[in-house]
Parts: sequence; structure tokens; C-alpha cells
Amino acid sequence: MKCSRFLLQLVRSGRTAAQRGSLLLSPSSGQLIVQHNQQQQVLRQFRCSPASAKSQPEHVRFVNDDDTKKTKSLVTQEDLFEQVAKESKTKATFNQVIDVFTKRDIRRRGHVEFIYAALKKMPEFGVERDLTVYNKLLDVFPKEVFVPRNFIQRMFNHYPRQQECGVQVLEQMESYGIMPNIETKVLLVQIFGEKSHPIRKYQRIMYWFPKFKHVNPFPIPQPLPEDAVDLAVLSLTRIANDLDAKTTVYQLPFTDITESGEEISFPHIVGIQSPNQMELLAKHNPNRPVFVEGPFPLWLKKTCVYYYILRADPTPPEEKEEEVYDPERCFYYPLQLDLDLDRDLGDEENFDVDDLDEGPVFAMCMTSRGDQATLNQWISGLQQNNPILGRIPTLFRLDAGTRELEGVADTEAGHSHRPHPQSQREDGPPAEDPEVAVEEEKPRRSQGMKQ
Amino acid sequence: MQLIAKLIKMNLIAKLTFNQALTQMGYRRPGQPREDKPPWWRVKFDFSKGLKGMKRHFTLLKEEFFAQFVGPMGKPIIEHMLEQNQVLWEFRGPHSLQEWTISCDREIGGKSEVYLKVGRNNETCLLYGTLCSDPPKDGETRYSGYCTMRAKQPLASFDRKRYHDWSSFNTLHLRIRGDGRPWMINVIAETYYTHQKDDMYSYFLYTRGGPYWQDVKIPFSKFFLAHRGRVQDDQHELWLDKINAIGFTLGDKADGPFQLEIDFIGVCKDYAHTEDFAYEKYKRNPEV
Repeated sequence: MKCSRFLLQLVRSGRTAAQRGSLLLSPSSGQLIVQHNQQQQVLRQFRCSPASAKSQPEHVRFVNDDDTKKTKSLVTQEDLFEQVAKESKTKATFNQVIDVFTKRDIRRRGHVEFIYAALKKMPEFGVERDLTVYNKLLDVFPKEVFVPRNFIQRMFNHYPRQQECGVQVLEQMESYGIMPNIETKVLLVQIFGEKSHPIRKYQRIMYWFPKFKHVNPFPIPQPLPEDAVDLAVLSLTRIANDLDAKTTVYQLPFTDITESGEEISFPHIVGIQSPNQMELLAKHNPNRPVFVEGPFPLWLKKTCVYYYILRADPTPPEEKEEEVYDPERCFYYPLQLDLDLDRDLGDEENFDVDDLDEGPVFAMCMTSRGDQATLNQWISGLQQNNPILGRIPTLFRLDAGTRELEGVADTEAGHSHRPHPQSQREDGPPAEDPEVAVEEEKPRRSQGMKQ
Repeated sequence: MQLIAKLIKMNLIAKLTFNQALTQMGYRRPGQPREDKPPWWRVKFDFSKGLKGMKRHFTLLKEEFFAQFVGPMGKPIIEHMLEQNQVLWEFRGPHSLQEWTISCDREIGGKSEVYLKVGRNNETCLLYGTLCSDPPKDGETRYSGYCTMRAKQPLASFDRKRYHDWSSFNTLHLRIRGDGRPWMINVIAETYYTHQKDDMYSYFLYTRGGPYWQDVKIPFSKFFLAHRGRVQDDQHELWLDKINAIGFTLGDKADGPFQLEIDFIGVCKDYAHTEDFAYEKYKRNPEV
């Protein structure tokens, strides 16, 4: 940080490049230091950032330098990355490539092409979300060359290609959602000067990103838990929409070796149910079946998990009973008020829409393998807390692909019956189902009974 | 009589050609050849269709004429003034899907798919499909993977533009059931200059996912101005008196299937919300 503050001071003091060069040269006995490297280039001390002027430039030998000179074939900047990529693709090797490029030439010839190639290769090396790498990449630009020095240069989009390259670096940062820091700003001011396009883009990022960082009302923890059970618990608490809901892990994932030596892996089963749902299930009419539906997709950033639900069709209007509030339940305030409020058109707060009644949802679960056996296990686990499940016929509607909740009138051909030992013989057909479904169900039900 | 019919037909044709000429000047997919057909070749002449169109337009005109005597916007004035909630789009039945258009990046050569259908029991609408963010290989496009659903412009008689007037409301209320993906709501307002054609006021719509319906309330003061997806520097609040359309976009870079179920879209007046605009209308060229 000290280094960047020092740089900022230099910028603010507004000294010219020549003055700065002389300032730095004075400690070294006032002579222009002329150094030669392997390619017989005269290295001038001004034109590079003051930080690197303190240390002597190292002569890093890059393997292919002599070869490329001899063969004189077209070598793109991407070849640098591809050579390194053959060994390993890590942040260290990426930084090494950038170092090789910067130390190769004091004038940084071809830096625009190099930076574009580096931006393209970043996802391969896995450094696209690393701010230090972006700052290092911005450091490749030679400093103070592209800063406009008079009003004509300021008017006419000074060094447009380099400005566009700077803007593209910031754009890739923006698209990955990385917030730049003060070092980025100092670098950009040094390279392009104030009021340049990259600085304007930086200002836009710094204005909008903080405003939109916490705008998600259902934030997802970053990084996501890797353990499948933890992920299932997180997503179930997310979709439960009830803080009283309780998650239960019915089975942890494990592999079992049978007698024949086969390995069978058992999936994890995590379920969730809230006290409201338990109440609804307790009030459910045992004559009506409940359905296990799924799998439904749930996206968390970039991972998709699937959940299953236990629900029932909505009760028909003739069977709906009004809940009578017991006045002795609460003595602090009345639970029901019959006031004549005299509300007119301006006080109506509800929308003029029919309320959708899709039937109550009793429980949700998540498991990695959604076949009937696993879900049966879930239901039996649920039965411990909801004994009424033993008497209710359960139908499975498992379908792959995107689905929405099943409605009352539609039934699909993916039915399968769950044989339950305590079933009574009066499994009346659900009254709402059309005749077609009833005919389908009848032979299957008899098969179920025979078992 | 035939002369009048011919005159009216030519009027219609002129209007159609004018619209089509405008659309040709719009987006052209890179690599596709330009269409060189003169505008009058693109219109199909069909007498019975023309008659049906005439009938529809004249009925609309008659309704509009008599609606003026009822009150502004066809509602009694007391209702127009005191209304606190208004349901704009309620998805009950396949006829409600006629008001919406869907589009995805297939138009620029991408591989996403999007479909719109009526949900269970004709009670909701379901927007579903697959996203694929592989950019099309045309050398120009860099990002891809989006899909949108947009309401069509409301039309008065003779295909004149009609606008939504939401000046007495300040919050958008939606009832949706998503799958956890972050969507974007865009409101397109009527503008004057052609440069402002792609101006949109946007805000985020985060879905929770799960089997329960989600009520989303977004005040109009939160919408920020964007042009072709780029957030603009000069921000101002959304003017609610002339709204053309509303739309939903999905562009998170997660490849895979998606779905969004919408029950209804309405506007309401929230008396507790007193904010004019959420973002600063700050000055340009600030000091660094």
C-alpha cells in the first residue's frame, strides 16, 4: 500500500516525466545510465514506472527467443501461453508469463495483443476472478506514454487502441463481478491519465457495483458448501419460506458391499417440514390421496439441485370447513374482529384476482437418486412425526424434465402406487380425477393390492 | 363502394409497409444477406382477411368512442382517481398468451430455446426453456445466452399505439414462482427521439425457487435507465404516464433448463413509499 500511496503522491504533484527522471537519476551521480541487454537495446531509465526503476532489470532468458529469430515465422502472443500451458495451468505460471513479457522489452512492443491474449486465456488458467492478476496485467502497459499532454491530444481520443484495451480489461472484470481496488485506480491514472475512457469505466463500476451488491433478498453463500447434505439443507431452508421449518437428515450417503461383492451406494435423504405443514397434514382427509411429485429444479448460482414435494389436491369447496377461532386461545387481544370499517374504493388493498388454490404442500425433500425406493424411505421417515401418513394412499408422480406443480384436473401417466401395509380397503378414487385416470388406476391398484 | 374499399385497403397497406420498412432497418444477423425486395412485394393481399380486419378496427373505434362518455381510460372517473391496485396481465387461459412475445438468442445464432405455454388448469403461464451461453461463431458476437418475454404494445383501432398510464401508482407487484434464477424486469417507456429507441428501465427480479408462490413488489423509483444493456450515466426516474411494454429477461451465465411461472402482474400504490428516485442524477465529468 505504501508503494501505491507514493505513486499517487507523484501523480498529484503533477511533475513531468523528465523531471521525475532527473529526480531518480540524481542519486546515481547525475549520469544517464546506459545499459545494454542481450538484444543490444539501450535501456533508458525514464518511461518506466518509478517502482521498477529502483531495481535493475533482470535478464530473463526465455527459451524460444533465439529460435524465433532464426525461423522468422509468425509468432502470436498466445503462443507464450500455450507453451506454458503444456506444463501446468496455475496462477504462478500465468504470472510468470506476464513477467517474461514485461522484462523482455522495455518498450513493451505488442502489449495490446498480449493483453488481449492474456484476457482470453485467463479462464483456462483459472485466474479470472483474481484481482491481483488483473492489476498485474494492467501493469504491462507502459506508464505515462498514453497520458495526453495538451488540449489537442485530450480532444482527439489519445491512443484509442490502448484505451480500448484498458476498457476491455475492466469489462472482463465487470462481467465476472470483481470489484477493482485502489491499486487499479492508481495504475489506470498513471497509464491513461485522468478523464480517459478506462478511468470513466472504472468510475462507473465503482458507482454501480456497491449499489447492486446486496440487492438479492435471498442471498446465496459464496462459496457453496461442497458436501451434498449441507447443500441440501441450505436449499431446503431456502425454499421452505418458513423460519420454523425443521430439516431432518434421514440418511447419510454411504456405500454398502453386499455378499456378492457388489458395491451399492445409498444416496442421502434430507427432508424438511414446518409445524404449519404438520398441522395441515394432520387435518388432511385420509380418503384423499397425497402425491409425491418431482423432481423440480432449483438453481443456486450455477448449480442445479432437485427437490421432491409431498402435496395433496385442494379440498373441494363442499368439504371445506370454516375454522372457528377459540376465543379462549388468546386473552391479550381478540382473534376475530367484526368491525364495520366503511371502506370505499380508495382503501382497497387487495388485487382483484382469483386466489389460486393449488393444494397444500406437506413436506419437501432432496435426494441424489430420486427413485421410488428412496422416496419410500423418506415417507416412512416422515411417518414417524405424522402418523396419519400410514392411512393415506400415496401416489408417486415422478417425471424427468422441467415441470410445474400438478393441478387438480390433469393427471399424467407416470403413476405408481405405493403398497402400504396398513391400508384399508376403502381407497376411494379421488373425486376430481377424470374417468380416464380412474381407469388407468384401477388395474394398477389391484396389482398393488395383490402384493 | 368499391372505391372506398380500395382506398381503405391502400391505407392499410401503406401502414403495413411503413412498419415493415422500419423493422428492416433494425437488427440484421451478421452473415445474413440483405433483403432486396421492394416493400410492396412483402404484403400478402387477401380479401376476407381484409374484411375481418376492417370489422375489428371499426368495432374498436366504436368502443373507444363510447368509452369517452364513461370516463377517462374507459373507467368512471371516481374509479380512475381512487384506484389503488390495478391488475394489468392476468394469465387465465390461452388468450392471455396472445399479448406476449418471446425471443431468445437463436436470433443472433445462439443455441438457447424458449417456450411459453399456459400452466396448470389454465391458471398461470409458464415460460420455460434452455439456456446455452456458447457465443455464435460469426466473429463479431462475444457473449450469448439470453431469453426474453415481452408484452406486445397495446394497440387502439387501426393499429395506433396506445400507452399504459400508471401515473397514479408507484409499485409493480408480481406473483411468480421461479427456480432460483435471477431475472431482470424491463419497462419500456415511450420516447421521442429515434436514438432512444432501445432505452429500457431495468431492475432485478430474484426468485427464491420452491413450490410456494412469491410476491414481488418493486417500486418504480428503483428502475435504472439502460440502453441496449449498458447502464447510462445520466439517470432519471421512470415516467409512468406513457408506458409501452414490460418484459422479463434471463441472462445469467448458467447453462441449463429454466422455468418461470407467472400468476399475475399488477401495479399498486404504496403510500409508505415516498422515494422519488434511488440513484443520484449526479454531474458528468466528476473530478477523479
